[in-house]
Amino acid sequence: MATLSLDKLTKVYRPRGREPVLAVDHVSLEVGDGEIVGLLGSSGCGKTSTLRMIAGFEEATEGKIRSNGREIQDLPPSQRDVAMAFEGYALYPPLRLRDNIGFALLRERRPRSEIDQRVAEVAGLLEIEDILDRYPSSISAGQQQRTSLARALIRRAPLSLLDEPMSQLEPQLRAILRARIKDYLIQNRMTTIFVTHDQTEAIALADRIAVMEKGVLEQYAPPVDLKERPANLFVASFIGEPPMNIVDAIALEEGGRRWLQILDGAGNPAFRVALAGQASALPAHGGLEPGVKYALGIRPHRLRIGATSAGTEGLTARVFSRQWLGDQTHLGLEVAGCSFVAVADGLVPVQVGEQIAVALPLAALHLFDRASGTALRHGLDAETRAA
Amino acid sequence: MSDLILDRISKSYGKTQVLSEASIEVKAGETVVVCGPSGAGKTVLLRLVAGVVEPDTGDIRIAGRSVLNVGPERRDVGMAFQNFALYPHLTAFENIASPLRARGLEAGEIKKRVDEISKLLRIEHVLGHTPRELSNGQKQRTSLARSLVRGPGVLLLDDPLRNVDAKLRYEMRLELPRLLRNFGSAVLYVTQDYKEAMALADRIAVLRAGRIEQLAPASAIYDAPESIEVARLFGDPTINLYPIRPEAEGGAAVVRLFGQTWRLPRGREAAIDRDCMLGLRPEDVRIGGDGHPGGVAFELEAVTPLNVRGVLYLRGPAGEELLATVPERDIGQFGRGHRRIWIDLPAEKLHLFDRQSGARIAPAAA
Repeated sequence: MATLSLDKLTKVYRPRGREPVLAVDHVSLEVGDGEIVGLLGSSGCGKTSTLRMIAGFEEATEGKIRSNGREIQDLPPSQRDVAMAFEGYALYPPLRLRDNIGFALLRERRPRSEIDQRVAEVAGLLEIEDILDRYPSSISAGQQQRTSLARALIRRAPLSLLDEPMSQLEPQLRAILRARIKDYLIQNRMTTIFVTHDQTEAIALADRIAVMEKGVLEQYAPPVDLKERPANLFVASFIGEPPMNIVDAIALEEGGRRWLQILDGAGNPAFRVALAGQASALPAHGGLEPGVKYALGIRPHRLRIGATSAGTEGLTARVFSRQWLGDQTHLGLEVAGCSFVAVADGLVPVQVGEQIAVALPLAALHLFDRASGTALRHGLDAETRAA
Repeated sequence: MSDLILDRISKSYGKTQVLSEASIEVKAGETVVVCGPSGAGKTVLLRLVAGVVEPDTGDIRIAGRSVLNVGPERRDVGMAFQNFALYPHLTAFENIASPLRARGLEAGEIKKRVDEISKLLRIEHVLGHTPRELSNGQKQRTSLARSLVRGPGVLLLDDPLRNVDAKLRYEMRLELPRLLRNFGSAVLYVTQDYKEAMALADRIAVLRAGRIEQLAPASAIYDAPESIEVARLFGDPTINLYPIRPEAEGGAAVVRLFGQTWRLPRGREAAIDRDCMLGLRPEDVRIGGDGHPGGVAFELEAVTPLNVRGVLYLRGPAGEELLATVPERDIGQFGRGHRRIWIDLPAEKLHLFDRQSGARIAPAAA
């Protein structure tokens, strides 16, 4: 049983002779019991500093860390009851992998039979059962990382902290290990926080993801919300492979209707999207002031190929690239001078150079404030969806 | 217009054989992507073509002429690297112009060519910047521009998209084929990322432990992998594999798997009474509804979303693991997992390999 809450957690590094660095900037978030949370961002975003403060390896400059409601930010690491796996592995060189993995249980004076059984379980899960009698120096980086992970998982600690747990894994093992680890964490109701720069890993494992950039928590939400309701342009263009298409658009009112005039890369008018119904159907305060320029987003798999939909009737695209990846097709589309990436499940039978019908469904359009990047609306159909 | 031919190239360092009889032919205007795990010999292959190292045996021909013992600068080969390798003290313009200056072109011609390629790569606005002032994406485009500017007969690209962010990587993946077609070079492109290989290649050379395991268009590699290892390298999640031994039943081959007997399509009789591996791609698993007739009950243990698809982690009647994928829009109905679902195997999509050799057992022609 563990819940965790970070309350305006802040870290300032003061390197001698240089400007102080604000590495973590008032980050607040709650982690529920048994929840799996990913801290995601590029290098230098503050995710690892955050994890190290939770573990107690870094002192918090400001803010509070609560575990089950109890403040722990001033406790030494050993009293925080967390299990941790590091990117740097930190295995004990003189111990066989078997004893590295079972170390915490040995120290708890668990019966040998229980230790053996649990070592076998996590070793099987991580596919290192054949090398348990070897020493850390004689195995590959990927195997060391799996051993380090096994050592953290075996404890079934109330709170597990995993730092880039799968960065070194062989690509062919990733999907199955992620699935087994997620299953294990859920089965044992282990509250888990892991750090990663790899959104695929974060999306696969996490119930909720904290997207960080330059020390700031940009959004904290389930993976599906990061994709369907990104809080701002940073999250929209960071999450998703490929990420969201973003174009500039000017809101217009003409003939009693509202339109979005889409602009191409050079800022010239490209094509228009008609918004549903009369002007009054859209609340003025939900964005869309006539004459104002916005950023408009649509995720690659929401573009509809060979189809038409309200608002973009008669729109066509020229296919400038078509790539078949085995289970999905990626298309490069040019629509009146604007480039879009579209993704479809399965094989799309179009040729490069072909003109095809394309639709941008109103429900799939995201509107952002261009200056601040803040999301204004998710979905521009008649239903109100203020961000 | 130059073709590039690698003819049974071998190379060893000490006792380690890094390339064994590797043969690849790249036509002018064609892109062949060399794809394989790290340590497969990909970079050595590029260095051999560039002329930085010489092969032990075999021949390398560019435009029909052997280039063995021809210096790198005289091979008509352009190169771009994952670490960009730009001159830090020169502007983007001067970096791009450097191969032209080395050939003594006059200033007006140099400017014309640099402007042309910069426009194509959309870096004309940063030509006055030094590498330090460029983003990774701009550095990578500058590096590409430099390799392309003199229209080399052979272009070598060493994992050029590795160090750029996801957004640019996808943009470049879609743009590069169009760009490369403009130049008509024979392109040899190296990457570890199978998706990048499938996206960019006219043909893919799968390199593993110094050998070319398969050389074919992307769709052939994915749909008809020549070996278990090729099948494992292409596809995410990795192809599901099960040891089986097909038996004869009523003239057809049948296999026992997941507690049921499955009839293989015609033409698989060659696999009867052989130790085989059966391969099943995650996207080919059919997910049925409740009580799907003819299906097998699996426990759904966990759901791990993956880009535009969701991965279902399933356990069969005897504890067999199975990964299946479904379109992203369908993930929601599975929740966090821990429920029973029914699956079916499409017999025509199953792959068969010899367990000993790993080689594909191709269906006999009908």
